[in-house]
Amino acid sequence: MTSNTGSEASRWLDAQLHLLDRQVLDVDGVPVAVVDDLELSEVLVGQEIPIDTPPPVITALLSGPALATRIFGGRPPESRMQRTLWVDIVEIDVVIRLGVGRDILDLAWTEGWVRDRIIGRIPGGRHTPQGEPNDERGRS
Amino acid sequence: MIITDLLGSRVFGPDFLGFVSDVRFILESDATGQPARLYGILVSPHARSSSLGFERSGVRSPWPIAGLVRWRHRSSFLVRWNDIERLEVDRIQLRRGFERASPELP
Repeated sequence: MTSNTGSEASRWLDAQLHLLDRQVLDVDGVPVAVVDDLELSEVLVGQEIPIDTPPPVITALLSGPALATRIFGGRPPESRMQRTLWVDIVEIDVVIRLGVGRDILDLAWTEGWVRDRIIGRIPGGRHTPQGEPNDERGRS
Repeated sequence: MIITDLLGSRVFGPDFLGFVSDVRFILESDATGQPARLYGILVSPHARSSSLGFERSGVRSPWPIAGLVRWRHRSSFLVRWNDIERLEVDRIQLRRGFERASPELP
């Protein structure tokens, strides 16, 4: 068997070992998602791949309702998966840290919807216990 | 393509070789924003499931689990991207004369 080749500075990531199921934290350290899948750049499927074709790269982390399909097979509809762009990642460790806030990610839409449409309509629901207005970043 | 399309796929050379147990990526450095290029696939002849990395590192503890997982994933090997000839649904065909590399993480 041969050994892996790469420069001294190279970093290796195995998808299942280092990426899948890791928690994703936004720039403020708030958990926003778990990595359920990885999206790869364009790759030929069902055709012969010419030698020296550049390898695909990870374009995004995907989060969504993946539990059932992991157990029973298949894949969730693409429309149900939320994407976090690979370029937004600043650190990969026990958790994955992003360089952007949760309010500009698709991942936080359910939280924003509940805050705006339900919590915000409850008397007192638009300010903190100290009387400061709630953070309204990302409201549409 | 998404990564779960590859995980668990059957791998064929001239004959059936095993299942994709993981997919390895390489980053040229630790710098932020580095693209993660697909380096190769880890092929396990006996198990489709994840191997928790025991066969890819020197971890030996806890020994009952390490021993069991190592046994399930015995004879695993890494196939580099350039040795992949064709990707299909649940099937990966390798090129003639493909090379088996060590699955251990450098």
